Amino acid sequence: MVKREKLEIIRDILSIIEDNKNMIKITPLLRKSNLSSLRFKEYYKDLLEGQLVKEIIDKSENKHIILTEKGFAFLEKYKTIINFIDEFDL
Amino acid sequence: MRPPIEFLFPPEIGTELLYSFIIIFCSLMIYFKTKEAYELSSYKGIKYFRQAFLFFAIAYFFRYSILFFLMLFKINTIMEISPGFVGVISLFGFMYASSMAVFYLLYSMMWKKWNHSKTTIYLLNMIALVIALISILFRGNLMYLTINVLLLIFILFVLFFAYTDREKKKGKNLFVIYILLFIFWILNVVNILLPKFLQLYQLIIYLASISLFMIILYKVIEKIGN
Repeated sequence: MVKREKLEIIRDILSIIEDNKNMIKITPLLRKSNLSSLRFKEYYKDLLEGQLVKEIIDKSENKHIILTEKGFAFLEKYKTIINFIDEFDL
Repeated sequence: MRPPIEFLFPPEIGTELLYSFIIIFCSLMIYFKTKEAYELSSYKGIKYFRQAFLFFAIAYFFRYSILFFLMLFKINTIMEISPGFVGVISLFGFMYASSMAVFYLLYSMMWKKWNHSKTTIYLLNMIALVIALISILFRGNLMYLTINVLLLIFILFVLFFAYTDREKKKGKNLFVIYILLFIFWILNVVNILLPKFLQLYQLIIYLASISLFMIILYKVIEKIGN
């Protein structure tokens, strides 16, 4: 279930990835997101399932998280979506 | 005797066709305009809002079919049509879709306050099915009026408490629009079930309904953009 506050947290996580030149490892992402690891896991699962982020493995076998096109589109449209939700009290 | 083309498309159907077309167009525009916002956010409120307008479009399609049959065969109620199953399916579809449209619109605003679960959706579907079944099984003016008056009282009751409960009074205009939309929707339903009952006010109901759907479409386009 996605609620209004949840969208804000998703936006924050995606912004962290974007600000990090669209490539970040999971531990610094967890730290920067200021969420408990349990909550972070929930959000991270939603982000992967929603195809807003994806995992890539580099040559040194390290796992990185990057934004997908949908993730970039979400960040771009975030304000529009929030304004719409507020306008119609959804 | 009417020429064949007028027999198939009596002039009164033109007005109904135009009215239904405008409402179906507005509803589908709202549905498709909000597609991207939902796909990106997976936000439940947007999902229910979209489904409400999809059901409005379906309900208006059935509504037009019913009026088409009424005018074409010069009958007073859809249940008089032969073969009988055409009337039963049209009325059932119309009552189910129109109840679900109203429920989904209400739920799009209330889902955070009510215990959000699939059970609530199933329950609303069950109520809509019961309303549709009652409409085809227990035919009678009093029964039709009672169902719709009870539905309207329920909607106004929920909206009233939702509004008085709100911390911010920002969306006051929208509440007025929603209340008017629900009232005119119920009048539309009564107009189909009891065609003679509101004949004098038909034009007012049509114009008001078109205006309300257009206002909502305008607000959606304004917020979502092109």
